[in-house]
Amino acid sequence: MAVETDVMRILDSVLSLQGRGADWQRHTPLLGAVPELDSMAVLGIITALEERFAFIIHDDDIDSAVFATLGSLSDFVAAKQAE
Amino acid sequence: MKRPATTLQAFFLDGARGQRFCLLHAPPSGQAVLGHVVYVHPFAEEMNAARHMAGMQARAMARAGFAVLQMDLMGCGDSSGHFEEASWDAWVADVTLARGWMLERWPGVAWLWGLRAGCLLAAQACRQDGLPAQLLLWQPVMSGKQHLHQFLRLQMAGDIVRGESSRSTSRLIHLLEQGESVEVAGYSLSAALAQGMAQADLEALPAGTQIVCLELGDADIGAVSPALSAQLQRWQTSGCNAQAHVVAGSVFWQMQESPDSPAWLATSLRSLGCAEAEVAL
Repeated sequence: MAVETDVMRILDSVLSLQGRGADWQRHTPLLGAVPELDSMAVLGIITALEERFAFIIHDDDIDSAVFATLGSLSDFVAAKQAE
Repeated sequence: MKRPATTLQAFFLDGARGQRFCLLHAPPSGQAVLGHVVYVHPFAEEMNAARHMAGMQARAMARAGFAVLQMDLMGCGDSSGHFEEASWDAWVADVTLARGWMLERWPGVAWLWGLRAGCLLAAQACRQDGLPAQLLLWQPVMSGKQHLHQFLRLQMAGDIVRGESSRSTSRLIHLLEQGESVEVAGYSLSAALAQGMAQADLEALPAGTQIVCLELGDADIGAVSPALSAQLQRWQTSGCNAQAHVVAGSVFWQMQESPDSPAWLATSLRSLGCAEAEVAL
């Protein structure tokens, strides 16, 4: 749960949602549903995650599926932390 | 009360292989001059995104009594040369040029103010200079290598958004290692620039250097990131006086037309020792 909170905080900050994501759930779709999510924003999220958690995300780790929903992104972060 | 206006001058400075575009924000005439600030802009698209906030901060510093120089580094903005011709060393030399020019004209406290990768350049200029300095670091990039990889991954990020299979960044890194330039997000990046950036960090600053960091976050929680926290520790150990502030705002260096982040302006002015009356404006 803590991971989702951290991920949500990063999304809110990178996408300047200004609280719009407060009621987002694990199943809330991201890619294709959130208009702010362009390539700079995707990179911004990856960057923020790396800087926040001090891990390195390799290209092979990540694809469109990771950004499908809030849940898939959070699961990805939890798995990286556990490495 | 109407306040006296700061003055803005635009001009070119002669640098190695061409001219550098500069903006000088000077304090209102009659105002006591506290010192000067040299701004070191971030890398590639972040420079453009941050232009508005950097200008706002420069004007606020000038009102408070600091002369502020914003130089476009070689091949960036309105300076001469192409981005592809720029090298990391040439950019460090540009920062040194800007500092020297300001030192001759504006006595008092000398601050270097970096944003993102600009912090790496500012740190390297200080290291070469060898004297204790004053550094204001906005959301500092702590590893040039990480920053370079992140930039190269713009290509991969675009692939993700389009739902295409993502092209590997390692191919770009391989080309750079072969001494070739690569094209990412409209920027042609030379091997010399990539190499210099990959080696850049914030370590080994002259003992006695004063460092103030601003990091974006929830000011109510107030905890800096683990990465910055470790960096602060290393600075303290090496005899620098380092502190960090968590400041609310938007990711103004990544998003075009992001909302203003006034808390960043106020925190920076306070860090430079400006009077509260100036900070409030």
